[in-house]
Amino acid sequence: MQSRISTNLERLRASRLWNSIFRSGSGTSTLHRSMAIQQNVFLHILPTKVRRRMLNFDATWYLGTLTLGTFLVLVITGILLMFYYHPSVPQAYFDMKDLRYVVSSGLFLRNLHRWSAHAMVLLAFAHLFRVFYRGAYRPPREFNWVVGIILLLVTLLLSYTGYLLPWDQLAFWAITVGSNISSAVPFVGQKIHFLLLGGNLVNANALLRFYVLHCVILPLAAVMLIAVHFWRIRKDGGLYVQQSEPVAQCAEETAGPATTEETAEEVMAKP
Amino acid sequence: MDEGRKPKPDEREISRRDFFAKLGIGSLGLAGVGTLSFAYQYMSPNVLYEPSPIVNAGNVEDYSMNSVTMHPAAAIYVVRLPEGIFSLTMICTHLGCMTAWKPELGIIACPCHGSRFSEEGQKLAGPAPKPLPWLKTWLSDDRDVMVDRSTHIPPYQFVRI
Amino acid sequence: MSDYVAGVSSDAKKSPKRVVFVTRRTSAHVRSQDEEQVQTYPEALFRAALAVQVLVIALVLMSLFFNAPLEGIANPTVTPNPAKAPWYFLGLQEMLHYFPPVVAGVMIPGLLVVALVVIPYFNINIRPDGVFLKDRRRNLTIFYIIAGGLSLFLWFFDVYVALAPTLAVAGFLLIAAYSAPQSTSRFRRYLVSRPVSWWIMTWFLLELTVLTVVGTFFRGPGWSWVLPWRS
Repeated sequence: MQSRISTNLERLRASRLWNSIFRSGSGTSTLHRSMAIQQNVFLHILPTKVRRRMLNFDATWYLGTLTLGTFLVLVITGILLMFYYHPSVPQAYFDMKDLRYVVSSGLFLRNLHRWSAHAMVLLAFAHLFRVFYRGAYRPPREFNWVVGIILLLVTLLLSYTGYLLPWDQLAFWAITVGSNISSAVPFVGQKIHFLLLGGNLVNANALLRFYVLHCVILPLAAVMLIAVHFWRIRKDGGLYVQQSEPVAQCAEETAGPATTEETAEEVMAKP
Repeated sequence: MDEGRKPKPDEREISRRDFFAKLGIGSLGLAGVGTLSFAYQYMSPNVLYEPSPIVNAGNVEDYSMNSVTMHPAAAIYVVRLPEGIFSLTMICTHLGCMTAWKPELGIIACPCHGSRFSEEGQKLAGPAPKPLPWLKTWLSDDRDVMVDRSTHIPPYQFVRI
Repeated sequence: MSDYVAGVSSDAKKSPKRVVFVTRRTSAHVRSQDEEQVQTYPEALFRAALAVQVLVIALVLMSLFFNAPLEGIANPTVTPNPAKAPWYFLGLQEMLHYFPPVVAGVMIPGLLVVALVVIPYFNINIRPDGVFLKDRRRNLTIFYIIAGGLSLFLWFFDVYVALAPTLAVAGFLLIAAYSAPQSTSRFRRYLVSRPVSWWIMTWFLLELTVLTVVGTFFRGPGWSWVLPWRS
């Protein structure tokens, strides 16, 4: 309790109000710190303890955390952009111009949303490959890998549906080409295309559908899947600790099958 | 429940519990199918505010012999050859990009994935799976070229003039 | 509840010990037994927050200096030349240049997703031993068939962009096939020890990167080759 800030903070944490909200209360004991995670509806999907080794930057490169970070930035900037956006033709494009030239910080928010979206796609891909090369997809984590793949698809769909919303040439033709791919699906392609666009052409209906997908359906799906994804880390035994591939037969090792080490550890990993 | 105490059960006989379970699952399945068909109907619009597929491409005398005329607003080409007149869609059969007539090369080219077509719509190069379709074309009483963009016809059905 | 608290440390820093059942053919080798653990709050959470802060600073700086693109209003009568999808789909668009949409737009991405999903459910992707260390002759035959067939297929359809990474990976696999695990070269020892799943994923990563880079920077009007520095 050296500084005034921490004194006041301690006083706040000891107050009745604070205790009515955060059941873990004040204190720095291990129990309190565990309860800070365990008793919080948002944090309780995380484990209360993590292996110290996994906090090193080279263990994970923090790619999952950073992907979540970009998602949070996208949710916040996205909600703010919605205040100035009408999903109608041609008003959507004029709103882009307004955001750029009229709305205070509108240009900045749109830039932030756009660049974060690109960063999220890039980070999600990087996360996928990193997890693969570390071998973290192996049992018992196979289902979390599947959830991760679905999350990657949701990320791509989020980015793609958002691509149409500015209603500029870039948007229109990227979506025209992309939606025509769906009509190449055998038998039901034309139906899918019609349902996706709400018509035969990329038009007002398509803009509205993509808007609803982009702002409501896909973000909800993403939030739920992200929750499952994090919770499964805890349920599957925490972040994967082993190195990507165990050393196969090397010059130092003389006899014995190449899988010695892995076999022992795989057996160990079984709950 | 208690297998031992039961007399020999008839093969067709099912317990009350099984019956209700099957009834429940069956009705849930029925409701699911109903919901899906309802969702499908709801999501396919019945009225579209899209432009009419039939367009008037102007008087036939405005098209000179051996010419390819682009109408980007209607997304059609009107081609006049010695055999007659016909129209093609401008929309590439690959992925729906707007193609363009290149008079200096004498071909129709797609900017997206590099497909090329002849002035009769035949594919010359590129990834397009089909030739450009011919559209139903006729002359109105005022000798205007009328095109129905929603109806494809077999190629080489010229409108004689 | 309070009956059981006595004598139990509330701060169990060590992972519980695990019993290993070792069969006769394997020799146990435990790499690490005691993992030191720390509290998620504050240690892990604060580090995560710090990582996100650094990310946000980078994104804000980028947003201050670079504007998001905005072209003219959507015009269904004029296709910009070239018309490009967002960068992460340009690998797919490059494939669409060679194959019909049902192949490049439906089958390739569909198979890709299925392949990614099933990775952890097949033992071949979990086995850690080098491709050619066990069943060398059989695996070499399979390798020649798959690599040869794939290369011929890509060559037949003139997909040189995808052929080059395939040949590169095949070349490294050949080096792996003809290197001993006791090789003096560290690089060769590394290649030898790579399992089959590693090779497939690396091939996929290389293809994805090459196709995306080509689609983004080296494709111009009419999807013809251009050099990005000459525009």
